[in-house]
Amino acid sequence: NKMLSSEMWIHILAIALFCCGSADSRKVRGISSSYKRFYREKKSFLCIDGSKLIPFEQVNDDYCDCADGSDEPGTSACPHGRFYCTNLGFRPHYIPSSRVNDGICDCCDASDEYNSHARCQNTCWNLGQRERAYVEGQMRTLDEGLRLKQQLIEEGVLLWREKQAQLRELQQVAEDLQIKLEEHRRKKREADRFKEQTLRALKGGDGGKSFHLKNKTLGGILICLFCNPYSISLDEVKAEVVPVHDEERHLGDDEAMVLTTTESAKTNRTLTCVLAHLLNTNKKFTVQGIKKVSFCWVLICDLQKKLAIDYGTDWEFLFLNGQCYKLKVYEYMYTLCPFNHITQKSTAGTEVSLGLWGMWAEPAKNRYNQMIYENGEPCWQGGSRSTTVTLTCGTETALRSVKEPSKCQYIMDFQTPVACQPVLKQRGVHSEL
Amino acid sequence: MAPVLVLWLAMCLGATWAVDRGNFKTCDQSAFCKRQRALKPGDSPYRALLETMELTNTRLTLQLINDNNKVRLLLELYRLQGNITRVKINELKPLKPRYEVPDVLIRDPPTEPLSVLSQDESGVVLSLGAESQRVIVSVRPFRLDIMEGHDVLMSLNSRGLLAFEHLRMRKDTRADPEAEKKEEADSADQAEATKEEEEKAEEGMWEETFKSHSDSKPNGPSSISLDFSFPGVEHVYGIPEHADDLKLKTTDNGDPYRLFNLDVFQYELYNPMALYGAVPVMLAHNAQRTTGIFWLNAAETWVDISSNTAGKTVFGKMLDYVQGSSEIPQTDVRWISESGIIDVFIMLGPTPKHVFSQYASLTGTQSFPPLASLGYHQCRWNYNDQEDVRSVDAGFDEYDIPYDFIWLDIEHTDGKRYFTWDPHKFATPKEMLQGLLDKKRKMVAIVDPHIKIDSNYKIHNEIRSRGFYVKNKDGGDYEGWCWPGNAGYPDFTRADMRAWWASMFAYDQYEGSMENLYTWNDMNEPSVFNGPEVTMHKDAVHGDWENRDVHNIYGLYVQMATAEGLVQRSGGVERPFVLTRAFFAGSQRYGAVWTGDNAAEWDHLKISIPMCLSLGLVGISFCGADVGGFFKSPTPELLVRWYQTGAYQPFFRAHAHLDTPRREPWLFGPENTALIREAIRQRYTFLPYWYQQFYHAYRTGEPVMRPLWVEYTQDPATFAVDDEFLIGQNLLVHPVTEEGARGVTAYLPGKEEVWFDIHTFQKHNGAQNLYIPVTMSSIPVFQRGGSIIPRKMRVRRSSSCMEHDPYTLYAALNARGVAEGELYMDDGHTFNYEKKEFIHRRLSFSNNVLSSVNLVPDSHFTTNSWIERIVLIGSSKPAKVTLKTADGIESQLEFDFDASMSVVTVRKPGMNAGADWTVTLE
Repeated sequence: NKMLSSEMWIHILAIALFCCGSADSRKVRGISSSYKRFYREKKSFLCIDGSKLIPFEQVNDDYCDCADGSDEPGTSACPHGRFYCTNLGFRPHYIPSSRVNDGICDCCDASDEYNSHARCQNTCWNLGQRERAYVEGQMRTLDEGLRLKQQLIEEGVLLWREKQAQLRELQQVAEDLQIKLEEHRRKKREADRFKEQTLRALKGGDGGKSFHLKNKTLGGILICLFCNPYSISLDEVKAEVVPVHDEERHLGDDEAMVLTTTESAKTNRTLTCVLAHLLNTNKKFTVQGIKKVSFCWVLICDLQKKLAIDYGTDWEFLFLNGQCYKLKVYEYMYTLCPFNHITQKSTAGTEVSLGLWGMWAEPAKNRYNQMIYENGEPCWQGGSRSTTVTLTCGTETALRSVKEPSKCQYIMDFQTPVACQPVLKQRGVHSEL
Repeated sequence: MAPVLVLWLAMCLGATWAVDRGNFKTCDQSAFCKRQRALKPGDSPYRALLETMELTNTRLTLQLINDNNKVRLLLELYRLQGNITRVKINELKPLKPRYEVPDVLIRDPPTEPLSVLSQDESGVVLSLGAESQRVIVSVRPFRLDIMEGHDVLMSLNSRGLLAFEHLRMRKDTRADPEAEKKEEADSADQAEATKEEEEKAEEGMWEETFKSHSDSKPNGPSSISLDFSFPGVEHVYGIPEHADDLKLKTTDNGDPYRLFNLDVFQYELYNPMALYGAVPVMLAHNAQRTTGIFWLNAAETWVDISSNTAGKTVFGKMLDYVQGSSEIPQTDVRWISESGIIDVFIMLGPTPKHVFSQYASLTGTQSFPPLASLGYHQCRWNYNDQEDVRSVDAGFDEYDIPYDFIWLDIEHTDGKRYFTWDPHKFATPKEMLQGLLDKKRKMVAIVDPHIKIDSNYKIHNEIRSRGFYVKNKDGGDYEGWCWPGNAGYPDFTRADMRAWWASMFAYDQYEGSMENLYTWNDMNEPSVFNGPEVTMHKDAVHGDWENRDVHNIYGLYVQMATAEGLVQRSGGVERPFVLTRAFFAGSQRYGAVWTGDNAAEWDHLKISIPMCLSLGLVGISFCGADVGGFFKSPTPELLVRWYQTGAYQPFFRAHAHLDTPRREPWLFGPENTALIREAIRQRYTFLPYWYQQFYHAYRTGEPVMRPLWVEYTQDPATFAVDDEFLIGQNLLVHPVTEEGARGVTAYLPGKEEVWFDIHTFQKHNGAQNLYIPVTMSSIPVFQRGGSIIPRKMRVRRSSSCMEHDPYTLYAALNARGVAEGELYMDDGHTFNYEKKEFIHRRLSFSNNVLSSVNLVPDSHFTTNSWIERIVLIGSSKPAKVTLKTADGIESQLEFDFDASMSVVTVRKPGMNAGADWTVTLE
């Protein structure tokens, strides 16, 4: 798959000269070698679709006889015909017949303008050179990109494992604490019984020390992360928590909010468990305690949410989560934080959301080349801003371009090694005759 | 009543989305209209003073007196060449001059002698030239009747609605005693007049308020009115621009049709509200005759229409007919304008084509557009930057769809400062234009007439320092809000201002412009966001006149100056292309118009037909509607149908609002892309025909896109048809404009005619309603038997790329085996056609011989184009086909015969398209 050597090029050139010298150039105009068999000089020509038999002189005579356009590969006569640009030194390709002799140079070998006022230069060698340089560059990029990608995959796997380990660790802690909590409960019950007995016995004696959960509470709370479904509203949270702490102080809105920050039903469910547990286990639980608990809980929830995203088959996109990439386009600064959100900030300073992480464009096909961010700032004419991010292969991870083809619909080009695909490897410059 | 109810319901429901009617005046809210309309038909107070009659070789003058207030008017009557009568009425001695619209007539219309046939105390009979036409001037009450033989063609003031509000001094606040004295010292007549006149100072005469806007009316009441009656006429047309049917409706139960150039946001359909342009020309037609009225007045104008048959049902009419008791049908119209004079041209036909030529002799014909402008135009508000333009351009190549022009709306400028480019998004406009030029394509950039008030903006500074801005009533520069914020409005009514404006299009003035950059004038009603009815205050001052007097002609002047700029920048060599939204009588001379800000709705697609037909009838042939609809987003089906319709309308441009999703032709899946591609390709194959039609319009003033009745004048079934139309004489188009249509019913006119489906060559007889089953790819188009249409079948990426391509001649034979057509070509973009650098040939087929002869023997132009194919539709099978060229050489031609459709296809005759030749079938 490396570049063709210069000897090969000379070889090809020689073949080309030989071919052109030996064939009727008028007849072969506009066809590729693989179609030559249809155009062998005979008395008549059968349209390739088999629809009509015409005298061979009528091939490329600038009049369309065949419905499929096959009799005029070298002229503009047929409405749906095509012309083959050999483009020796560059990439051969077909152009619509309508571009033959239209005064515009389409084939780099100038073969399409053999009878027009356009003075076309043969630019194939230059283009080929440039193309080869470009392809080489692309291939270097790809090689480098794939190397970096491999690293990132490895890192991603490590990161994934790390996170999984964290989660497992927390789960382990939870289990441990569960056991300890059971122990505490048992002890408390015993203590209560003892207290009761003591109270009954001593009548108003010193009494037992109040049960202190402090850090140990966490265990009981974590257990609840995986417990029975239930849902609860902000008001209910306050209603349930407040009576517990009424001697101390009311639970502020902020604090209740901390508890309900998370949007999903799952969140509320676990939160409720926490509270239910608190209420069941310890009436002297402090507000500080709840804060700590909820903070710990947010961490776990966050981790779970993060781990729920599809980071690619090898978790290669995982490292992007938590990063942000900026690009200034005209008067706007755009910020892409993959798997989170996209914003646009004007020089005047106002910041607008162009969308929150939605999904991969084609999740089913295991293709990770387009991300969709949606539900950004609402638009004047209805709907909300959304952004489609196309991932392209590059050695660096960076935001390359931002466009707004229609109002409130943005498209971004985001370059990163992890978008490099081995299948993308260019086939190099063709030299078919 | 049922249809009325449905209509009413539809309008109410429509109102939830559409125009805020409250922003625009009804007749009742326009003081002069209300005053005038309060005047009911009856005896006219005007009397002709025969003793004042003077007859010279070219005109008759006669004083009229209003017996109520003794104010005298001066009537001038001219017989103009080409069967036109001009009637002018002004105050005999106005307090100050009244506005007479300049720059619309292309010259002082040449006159013909008038002579008195008879005269007595009750009136005068004048001869109107050679034909047996006479005008009868009746003395008391004053009226004019134009007769031919025993028939009255038209009567003026027969309903006594001539009303002329003379200029007067304000009585309540007469501050200037000098003026009073002066007036007292005035002539006896005048003194008599002021005394006799016990005029009630009605509300709205000296001041008028609409919403929060007040109109100071320093000249007081000045409106004019006149009625016209058309005996025997049930169909009147014209007076665009209205989003309404082709056949004008009676206005007895609603507002009159209004002519007042306005920027109407989200306009409603099927009503007489004013829109962006105004052409005060009406055509009256019956099976015997077509006549026209051209009311040359640029002030706000209302037109009332009533008819003695309008209320009658078909049954009622039949009853009348059977009982023989029918009164003659008659249509009465009444014109009311806010200021100026009565200056009316009565065009007496007798055929529609005579009326077109009569009107063209007054105001000129359609300018001959560059060929490329008849191709497809891709527009959007907005293509964001040069890269966007490049990629849309590339998209057309990728999907193999031809186009000629890509357009830039207001966002391309540096902060809505016209003649500039956004320094970031369009940093290198010449590079962009060169990129288009390399593909033989062109661009249009918008230049609006509101100028940002910004002392760092060259255009503003120059206009201000030269005193070229329109002034407010207090003498300062008039300012209003528009796209750039606070803006001034150049006074385009001034010739020196227009000359300066034109000079701004010079390549060294308009930086970044190139020869393939053309211009679009939008918002030239003018649109003033914070003005009354979103336009300029009527008391704004244009030199000696108020905006009240000149309002409807402002937009014409903008386009005139812009077109002149494009001509001048090339040293007078190249034809301009300028699109305008506002227009007036005469605007046809300066370029194209479009129907403004329509919407992506099926009804808007439908209305594009009558709207452009109405414009064509009054000279403006180069008309189109935004393909796809400007506001809202079309369904793919609507978009495809709109492309199919637009491909057969004169100006073919897709456009979309800033807030709508992208809709370039390839964005709706491969099937829709293919359908749109095919519609645009059909357009390009017909470009030689379109171009020839426009040359014909330029020569004759006949509309390119025309209603059926123009060709089938005696067939009443055609008189109200506006869901189909003709292009020239030879193509009949019935686009599909219904959602989910399975078929359309087209009326094929002409008892003698045969029509051929252009796609299948199937033959249909004329004078029938034909049901045509349709699929999404169907565009029902028919070629008239008896016509020859030249086409270019090698569709390329732009019209310029097709310049040297060969022609295919489609000869559709009529019942007598005869066909005729024309072939016109020139360089496509310069004025050299004026020097006869063109080829114009008559193609005719009869007695089995097709021949090409030169129509203009002293023309000189050469072409590389040749005839690649001749398709004879409706022909029998020949034994052989022989070509004979000018040098006498004969050769046999190959041909195919399709027996199922009777079509002979002659293979590659190969002669030059500019040469003499014959092809004989034996």
